[in-house]
Amino acid sequence: MESIVFGIGITALAGALATVAGAAENTESDIGSQGDPNSQVQLAPQMGYLHRIFNKAIAGEPPAWGLWIALGAGIAWAFMAMQVNPILAIVLGAALATFVQGVYATTAYLGRTASLAKFGQPVFVDVLKSMTTVTMAHAFVAIFATVTVCHLMNAALGHPFPLPLLGLVWGIALGAAGSATGNPFYGKERQYQNQKYGAGVPIAASGNIVRYAEAGERNSLDNGWFSARLGGPASGVCFGLIVFLELWRTVLFEHIAAGWGAIIIGIIIILVFMVIDRYIEVWARKNYGPYGKPAEEASS
Amino acid sequence: MTVKVEKIEGGIPHNTIMVAGLIASVVLVYLTYANVLTGTQYFAFFGGLATVAALVWGSHTIKHLCSYGIGTGVPSAGMMAFGSGVIAMLFATKYGIAAPIVAVILAAVVGAILGYVANNVLNMKIPVMIVSLVEMAVIGALVLMGYAAMMSGSFELSALTTGSVSILGLSLPSYQASFLGGALIATAFMLGGIAIQHPFNACLGPSWTQDRMLYLAAECGFLSMIAAAIMSMPLISMGAALVSLFVAVIGWYYTYAKYIELSKRDAFSWLDSKPIPEVEGQ
Repeated sequence: MESIVFGIGITALAGALATVAGAAENTESDIGSQGDPNSQVQLAPQMGYLHRIFNKAIAGEPPAWGLWIALGAGIAWAFMAMQVNPILAIVLGAALATFVQGVYATTAYLGRTASLAKFGQPVFVDVLKSMTTVTMAHAFVAIFATVTVCHLMNAALGHPFPLPLLGLVWGIALGAAGSATGNPFYGKERQYQNQKYGAGVPIAASGNIVRYAEAGERNSLDNGWFSARLGGPASGVCFGLIVFLELWRTVLFEHIAAGWGAIIIGIIIILVFMVIDRYIEVWARKNYGPYGKPAEEASS
Repeated sequence: MTVKVEKIEGGIPHNTIMVAGLIASVVLVYLTYANVLTGTQYFAFFGGLATVAALVWGSHTIKHLCSYGIGTGVPSAGMMAFGSGVIAMLFATKYGIAAPIVAVILAAVVGAILGYVANNVLNMKIPVMIVSLVEMAVIGALVLMGYAAMMSGSFELSALTTGSVSILGLSLPSYQASFLGGALIATAFMLGGIAIQHPFNACLGPSWTQDRMLYLAAECGFLSMIAAAIMSMPLISMGAALVSLFVAVIGWYYTYAKYIELSKRDAFSWLDSKPIPEVEGQ
């Protein structure tokens, strides 16, 4: 009983850390225009829309985050193997992984922009300096939180995988959660605020992303500000729930039917979420669905 | 059916890069055998240099393959290389001193099978697919072997599965504290997998230039080597790990500076705190 209570405590802590990680991850990738919104940022100069948006194309989010977290976990593992205190080891691992992330971000922006020379897109050094540091800060938070989650699983819950392997698995999960949940807030909404709401992206509007702000020219920090409000927390809730429910079912039901209990509960959770998702989808389509004929003018 | 949309103009031909990359990486992996001959671990850094050579070759292979219009497949090509290479690499470590050669041959076989499946079963019909996947698998195997040799001092299975833990001053052999037992191979996999696809992924576009991409490939290789050098600290002697770290930092700094210089050369303009330039017709 005591071990289950302890396990639930660790589960709650890991879920909370994962929520922070998800929120930071999504804000980081939106400031860098990583993931699917990247295609429009890349396309815009080719359509004649020069911009000051950061273009940090380092693979997709899941592989890139697989590397950052696996690297943070690998270095933390190495320091722990040298008898360094785990918290210090995780901080060092996250710091070094953040350094690698920052170097990748600068080379990606320089490479992509230099290859667009034909269309007259300049390299903005101030964009490089100010955005890279902000993405690095968010990346540090996300890496530190996720590596800590992995360490809690390994050390407190006795997960059989070594830390770097857990880092790889959860890093890919983190990238996938941020990519799937948070990106629409940036890629489908923020980049196209000048289009009719809910109109999708017509071919003619491809690359015509919003480039001017309330005052002056929009940069990626404005996009980070926007997506930190809804996209970030949504990604955080997504990744937090993934980690929490995964650990919760394992801690509580692992001992039923020689481990099959946890698997059955996992399948039930998936079914419950399918029902919820379907309900939300139908509800949203009914309320915000495709544009029909305007029913009637409210006034006049 | 795909049509070749971009072609490589000028620069070093792909075959030259391939032959140079293959020879350099195999020779450099073998140079780590000097550890066994001399009884030290100071030659482990040659493993890291082998990965840099293989990654430079690999980035150009991806460019070669992706010039057939595979735009979104660039990052997955890196994963593919390492996924097929890791099988050959792990199997080959059983063969002692012959391991690098066995890894190359086995990886080529795995790559050829995958290429056949991709082209003839999945009907991708890309002319360079089989050759490229053979190259990618060989590169994946050599890079992983390079990291293994760099982090554990040797490319033999016994060295990859035994580390040592010191408890109260006593050094005890441990599977948990080894390259495979600690799953450092998972980190090595991602270090190589991102480093191999990043150069082309970052430099693609109409104004692509070969030298800029190859410098970026070397930069990514040295950057991964810095991380690998730090992770090698508990597995090999601290002196040897510091030698690796020193070599990696020097190489990284040189290639990074060179890459920025080449980006400056290729960029349309290099502006600091300037507004978006006016374009005619808007």
